[in-house]
Amino acid sequence: MTSLLVVLLAAGPCVYWTQGLESRPTLEAAGVTRICVAPGQVETWRAAGFAAVPITETEFASREALPGPGVMGRAGVASPTRSPWIVASGWRIARTPAAKYAYTVPAGKAALAAAEAFTYGADAVLKIDPADLASAGAMLAFIEGLPAADLPTIADLAVVDDGSAITGEVMNLLARRNLLFQAVKAPVTRYRLNITVGSAEYSREAASDPSAFAQKVRSQLTDEQRSLRVYGSEVVIGRLTADAGHARLHLLNYGGREIEGLRIRVRGSYRAGTAHVAGAGRLSLEDQVVAEGATEFSLPRLGTYAVIDLR
Amino acid sequence: MHRRAFVRLLAAAASAKAAASLDVAAEARSRVPPARPTQIRTGLPSLRVVSSYAPVRSDGMPGPYPGQVVAVKSDRSVDISTGQANNEVVREMMARGMRALTGAGTTREAWRRFFDPADVVGIKVNCGGYPHCVSAYEIVAETVRQLRDVGVPLSQIYLYERFQNQLDETNYAPHLPDGLQIVAAERANRNTDNSGYDPATYLDANLFGEDDTRSNMMRLVSKRLTKIINIPNMKDHGATGVTGCLKNIAYGSFSNVARTHQRGKSHTYSVVGTLASIEPLRSRTVLQIMDGLRGVWHAGPFARTTKYVFYPRQIMFGTDPVAIDRLLLDIIENKRREQGALSIWDRSPGSLKMDDSRARDADPNVNIIIREPGHIEYASSLGLGVYDLAKIRVRDITV
Repeated sequence: MTSLLVVLLAAGPCVYWTQGLESRPTLEAAGVTRICVAPGQVETWRAAGFAAVPITETEFASREALPGPGVMGRAGVASPTRSPWIVASGWRIARTPAAKYAYTVPAGKAALAAAEAFTYGADAVLKIDPADLASAGAMLAFIEGLPAADLPTIADLAVVDDGSAITGEVMNLLARRNLLFQAVKAPVTRYRLNITVGSAEYSREAASDPSAFAQKVRSQLTDEQRSLRVYGSEVVIGRLTADAGHARLHLLNYGGREIEGLRIRVRGSYRAGTAHVAGAGRLSLEDQVVAEGATEFSLPRLGTYAVIDLR
Repeated sequence: MHRRAFVRLLAAAASAKAAASLDVAAEARSRVPPARPTQIRTGLPSLRVVSSYAPVRSDGMPGPYPGQVVAVKSDRSVDISTGQANNEVVREMMARGMRALTGAGTTREAWRRFFDPADVVGIKVNCGGYPHCVSAYEIVAETVRQLRDVGVPLSQIYLYERFQNQLDETNYAPHLPDGLQIVAAERANRNTDNSGYDPATYLDANLFGEDDTRSNMMRLVSKRLTKIINIPNMKDHGATGVTGCLKNIAYGSFSNVARTHQRGKSHTYSVVGTLASIEPLRSRTVLQIMDGLRGVWHAGPFARTTKYVFYPRQIMFGTDPVAIDRLLLDIIENKRREQGALSIWDRSPGSLKMDDSRARDADPNVNIIIREPGHIEYASSLGLGVYDLAKIRVRDITV
C-alpha cells in the first residue's frame, strides 16, 4: 500500500476528498481522477475507477502545511503592481524534498497549488474549496498529459541549509527573484557562490533583511550569469531542469491574471521549443533567438502554469 | 480593433519606412523665475540600450527646427467657466502655428513638409489626465484632418496610448472619422500585457532591484509607423517635475516604466531622455504639438478633479522636444509660484511624504517623490534638443 501511495503521489498531487461515492458525478464532471480518501473508502473509489490513495485525517494534519499560493498586499513592504509579495512554497519543497506536504487552499488557488506541487515534485495533498474542483481537475489533467521529462535541476548557486528560519527566508527571497539555488548541507565546489548565513561574508545581520540579502547575491552572481531571466512580470517564478541537449522550464504565475508575451531568457543554446500551457494547450514559442550563449523567446500566453521544453 | 488582434497584426508586419527652415523672428524671452541651472549629474544608473535600428532620417528629434518654438495663444480657445474648447479657434491656432513653424504659405503645404501619403503616422496622445486634461479632441481631430488633407489614408493613421482603459474612458472615436486606428499596447497598467512590445528593442536597467529590468518599445512604433506626432499636455508631474514632450513620447511608447520612480526616489532624470533617444522612436517623432489649452499645475499627471487645472490657452509647435519642455518648466513653475506652491525644483526632505499620494493631492506643498525636472536638460545632453533658454527662439502668435 505504501509503495502505491508513493507512486500515485509522484504522478502529481492528489485532492483530499471526504465525500462518499455519491459525489462521483461531481468528481467526474470536474475531471478529477486522483483523490486521497479515508482508508476505509479506498477500495470503493478504486472500484469506481478512481486512483484512490488512503490518508487519514491525522496523517493529513501531520503533514507539513503549505500556505495557499498567490500574491498578497503588505503595506510598506510590497506594492501590488511593482513589487508584489508572493506567497510561494517551491523553496520549502526544494529545501526538504522528501517531506510530505499538505495544502489547505483558499478558493481560487487550487490549480496554482497543484501546479506548484507538481513543479517541485512534492508529495502533496490538496484540501481545496469545492468551487475550485473544476479548475483543479483541469490542472491535474494537464499535468498528467505532459510529456515525461526527468532532468536534473539547474541552480546557479548553493545555499548551505542550517535549518534556520532566517536561512529559509533567504531561500524564499532568492526563489522569488528567480535566483536558482540548490539547498545543500555543506559548500559545493561546483558553485562559485555558496551562501552560508552566519559566515563572515553572509552575516545573520545582513540576512535579517532577506530582500536586500537576495539583491547582494544577485549582484555577486550578475544578471548575465543567471540561468533564467523572466521579463514582463514580477509574479512569475520558474524552475529550470536540463541535461546536455534538453531543458524543461516550469513557469508558475502567482498573479492571478493571464500574462501575454512573457519574455524568457535561458542560458544555453536551444533552437527549438514547445510550450505546454495550462488552459491553452500546446503553443509555439514566439520571437525565439539564440545569441551570446543564451536563448530568448516569448510565451504567447501564461495563465497559471506552463511547461516549456527546449531542445 | 481588438487589442490582441492588433498586436498579432503588428507582430506579423514587416518593418516600415525634410523640411524647410523656420521663418520666425528670434525673440529673447524674459521669464521669472528662470529655471535653476543644473549640471549633468554623475553617478547615474547604468542604462543599456538594445536596438537594431539606426537613425533613418534627419527630421526626427530635434528635427529641422532645433531650439525653435511657435506658441499660439488665444483667450477664445477655451471657455474657462466651462472648460470647453472652441473648435474653430483651435483650428485657426493650428493653422497659424504650423505655417509659422514651417514658413509655408498654406496650411496644407506646412503639413506636407512633414508627411506624404505613403507615411504611416502615429499620433501619440496623452490620456493620463482624464477627464480634465487630455490631448484635446479638437487638436487631435484637426491633426487627423490635416493628415488626410495631405493624402494620408485613414487606415495609415494610428492614434495610440499605452493603456486601452485610458483610451476607452477618453473616447476619441466620436470626434474622429471612421477608419482611423485607435490602439493601445496594454489593457491597463497592471504589467500583464507584453505582446504589444518589441522584444528586441528595449532599455535594460536595474534601478531599484526589480527583476524585470527591461522597458520595451511598442511594436507599433518599431514595426509599423513611419512618423509620429507627439501631442502632450502642459502638466505637472510628481516624479519628473513636468510632463511634456519628452515624458509623453518616452513613457508613452515603452513598457514597464513606472518602475523608475518609487519610494521617494526618481530615476527619471536620465531614463526619460534615454528612452526618447532610442531608435526608431527618435527618428520617427517628427512633430511636437503641445496642447496647452488646459494644464495641470499640481498632482499631475492626473486630473481627476479641477482643483489643480488651469488654462494656459495656448498651443506650442516645434520639432525640438527639449526646447518646448524647457518653456513648459517655467509655465508650470510660474503657475505654482502664483498659487503659493512648492517649486518643482524643491528637493528638501521636509517636503517629502513618500508614497502618500493622498497628502500630495490635498496639499501642493507636498512631494511624494523628489522630482527631476533636470530630465529635460539631461535630454539635451543626448542631442535631443536645445535647453539653454538664451538659445531658444520663440515666436508668439495671438489668435
